Amino acid sequence: MYTKLILKNAKRSAKDYLVYIVTMTICVTLFYAFLSISSSYYKPDLGSEYDFTMLSDGMKIAICMITLLLLFLIWFVNHYMLRKKQREFAVQSVMGMEQKTIGRIFFAETLIMGVFSILTGIFLGIFCSQFITAMLLASYGRPYEISWTLFPDTVLLTAVFFVASFFVVGIFNTRTIQKTKIIDMLSAEKENEPELKNSRFISVAAVLFELFTVWGLITGIQKVWFYYDTRFAFLVQLMFWGNILFPLMTLVWSAFSVIKKKKRDSFIAGLLIFSLLNCLTAAGVVALTNKYYLPLGGGTLNQYLLFVLVDLLFFICSLIYLASGLIAKWKEKSPKHRYRKEALFFFGQLTSKLNTTSKTMTIICSTLVLAIFMFVAAPVLTGWSSGYLKIRSMYDIQVYSTYNDVYEEENLPQDSYAVITDFLTEHKIDTDYDCTFNLYLPKKEDFHNRQKYDFPIAAISLSDYNTIRKMLGYEQISLRDNEFTTQWRAIATKEEQDSFLKDHSRIMTDAGELTLSHQPYYEDTIGETAYNSYTDVLYVFPDSICKKLLPVIKNRYITTAKNISYENARELERLFTEEYPEQTEEGVMYGIRFSTLQTNSTIASNFILQAAMLYGAVVLMVICLTVLSLQQLLDAGQYKYRFSVLRKLGVEEERISKLILQQLSVWFGLPIITAIIVAAVVIICFIQIISAEISAYIGFGALMLQIGVTVGILVILLICYFISTWIIFRRSVNS
Amino acid sequence: MNTILKLEHIQKYYGNEGNITKAIQDISFSVKAGEFLGIMGASGSGKTTLLNCISTIDTVSSGHIYLDGTDVTEINEKQIARFRRENLGFIFQDFNLLDTLTISENIALALTINNAPFSEIDERVQEMAKKLNITDILDKYPYQVSGGQKQRCACARAIINSPKLLLADEPTGALDSHSSQMLLATIQSINENLGATILMVTHDAFSASYASRILFLRDGAVFTEICKGSDSRRAFFDKILSVLTMMGGGQSHVY
Repeated sequence: MYTKLILKNAKRSAKDYLVYIVTMTICVTLFYAFLSISSSYYKPDLGSEYDFTMLSDGMKIAICMITLLLLFLIWFVNHYMLRKKQREFAVQSVMGMEQKTIGRIFFAETLIMGVFSILTGIFLGIFCSQFITAMLLASYGRPYEISWTLFPDTVLLTAVFFVASFFVVGIFNTRTIQKTKIIDMLSAEKENEPELKNSRFISVAAVLFELFTVWGLITGIQKVWFYYDTRFAFLVQLMFWGNILFPLMTLVWSAFSVIKKKKRDSFIAGLLIFSLLNCLTAAGVVALTNKYYLPLGGGTLNQYLLFVLVDLLFFICSLIYLASGLIAKWKEKSPKHRYRKEALFFFGQLTSKLNTTSKTMTIICSTLVLAIFMFVAAPVLTGWSSGYLKIRSMYDIQVYSTYNDVYEEENLPQDSYAVITDFLTEHKIDTDYDCTFNLYLPKKEDFHNRQKYDFPIAAISLSDYNTIRKMLGYEQISLRDNEFTTQWRAIATKEEQDSFLKDHSRIMTDAGELTLSHQPYYEDTIGETAYNSYTDVLYVFPDSICKKLLPVIKNRYITTAKNISYENARELERLFTEEYPEQTEEGVMYGIRFSTLQTNSTIASNFILQAAMLYGAVVLMVICLTVLSLQQLLDAGQYKYRFSVLRKLGVEEERISKLILQQLSVWFGLPIITAIIVAAVVIICFIQIISAEISAYIGFGALMLQIGVTVGILVILLICYFISTWIIFRRSVNS
Repeated sequence: MNTILKLEHIQKYYGNEGNITKAIQDISFSVKAGEFLGIMGASGSGKTTLLNCISTIDTVSSGHIYLDGTDVTEINEKQIARFRRENLGFIFQDFNLLDTLTISENIALALTINNAPFSEIDERVQEMAKKLNITDILDKYPYQVSGGQKQRCACARAIINSPKLLLADEPTGALDSHSSQMLLATIQSINENLGATILMVTHDAFSASYASRILFLRDGAVFTEICKGSDSRRAFFDKILSVLTMMGGGQSHVY
């Protein structure tokens, strides 16, 4: 009898809980698709120089972490179903069924729907994993080939994970049902009458925001006290003072509002504006520190990133809180709009809902911002990293050194790294090119100059420079006796180059004065280690000049005839670091890079980063949309009553359908549009900060394509959810 | 006085071929303009079904209903909502007010749905509120006022469009005795002063005594009909009680 009841209920519920099934299926699909590449049965043909285990272990951890978010979703959807069915439970209890049994029946029902979602999800996951495989093979530069991915261990892991989650949530639900009184179950539907009182959420948020502002003000004063210098650029000065002024103004406004007993809405509106100003100046710290090499340190940057985050969150929160007030004001001022057909009803629906759910809306909005940002940032970060990889691993072996902590001239690096030569001979590894070279300081007196933003530019001799160019297949260059030229990093902008060359048409060196050559600059990439720290440019001097200068850095670049194998690279790395540690007593810092190792670890970590961020972003989006949709459906009972009143008052069905559509559009549109606007601002700031890296390593075309794809995915998900919510909503309002 | 509502041989059946329930079997009567008609009967006598059929919320199985000459049963689906809002006013037992709107907005909604010019709306709402003595609570929400005040708001909403017929379904059902008396007095004054035609369904003899004529239904048919004429309300109330006793279902109303 019970089995029959369970099956019947599940069959009937399937129609009502379309959103639940859709969400669960999407989650299982994604989980399976991403996890399938970490299966022990998955053996893609990537070539012997790659080590795949690191990737699959990393993927497993990343995916399981993100999937914890899904637990929240499963709990939320179950909670929704539980509330929907309270009345039914009450009737069953009154008939004499034990509450324990009712709980079990409900659990069995959800499990049936869950198992259906798991099976469908795995089936779809097999197709979906093709995209992931394509992404993986593309990362390793292999052609795409179909590989069917129904792996027993992945299927088992997926099934175990989701069934276990159902059980955990199910146990909680059964307990809830057992503890609820029958009378409460009977009146459950009446429970959602709107509480039009304003929630205390905004007050709590405002107090927290004030506390952070006080912290921001103290930090701002500290930074001016310790780091401010009148020689800073105007923008930097503005940033320093802005970080004191705006937090101070925020606090003054709050004190003023309290003394004058201003209304809460105008108080919050003021805070909204100040949160934006605070956010801009705090973001300025992050942007300008990188640009002007401000000596603020990583801790301060993180602190200011936290301020930016807090300001943004408060901005979203107060904007949504004020939205209902704005609608009410507008409604009051314009009788023409207020008294147009069913507009009164529509405004009533919006304001009542906004008043009670500003907290949920803020959370949804912030989560959406995070998801959109992750979508855009994932390819930027991985593109940056793989573009950088090309420049970092231009040579099969590169040895580099820095003198940043060396204070005596006799301690400067002079070695020619014989350990490498020995190893190569021993392992019979032939070299195509092998270049050991010095970088010199044009003026010896600059040796003791260690200020970050005033670090001396190093010079290379023409013959060494030409050897490096030959290694990389570039043309040879020539200089006259008293001439010099420059070599630039990819990251340097055209403006920086122009202004530098304008100011440096002649330079003084310890070996006499040099003038700029008729070919004043070269931009071919020659790797990251050929420049002095904190500089983007390298002088190229004639050999005769360099002989008289102080050599401060010793590097060695080698290209081999064949790729060095993974094991050999690891072995040589170990031998080298034994003899030349990263930090020596004299202060010299040595380093060695192998293209084999670099490529392997970068590709693997890039892929994990990209896959995890995309997966996370989709999961967050799905969560937000589900919560948005269920929020509407949870109140469908109440809406049914309201729309029935309209119907009795003589409003046509067409108008009612239109009202439903309008209401859902605003409900989905408001948080999504707010999130898109905030995310756009965040992304623009992000792009501004790293625009040099983007143009150097990724290209704006590729970035725009990625933003387009993001918008596409968001729109598809949105349409799916909007339509299914609309169908269910209409059903429950019209039934 | 001219007839505003006329029912001819109304029948309403529920169920399918094997199992038919006759909710209304052949009811005919007419209501004159400005009349206050009460319909009484025990549970299941068909009074709410009858009201639903007149108010176009439900359809009849056979027969005709004429409202001011228009056959309600012949109006097509698309026209019916418009017909309802232009010709009928409703008062329900559970008020049917919207919690999301203030009292004045609830009243104004009936006007805006009927496309009243927006410049007139505030004035008309104020005027109506004055008549029903609810000016003080216009800016409050339904959950902030008493049951009696809610029902007076519902009355204001029902009559603000000057409907041809005002339908009241157990309007005092959710009110205490004091609020009931106040509301019934209000409905009576709407009938007498504004000349509204009212059709009120109730099973409460006290409420019914405010009407000028009462139809008694039993098992889906008209059992009898009494008129107040020149009687006092007290005398009419006693008359009602005796009819109820005669009908056999009335013992419960006699103390």
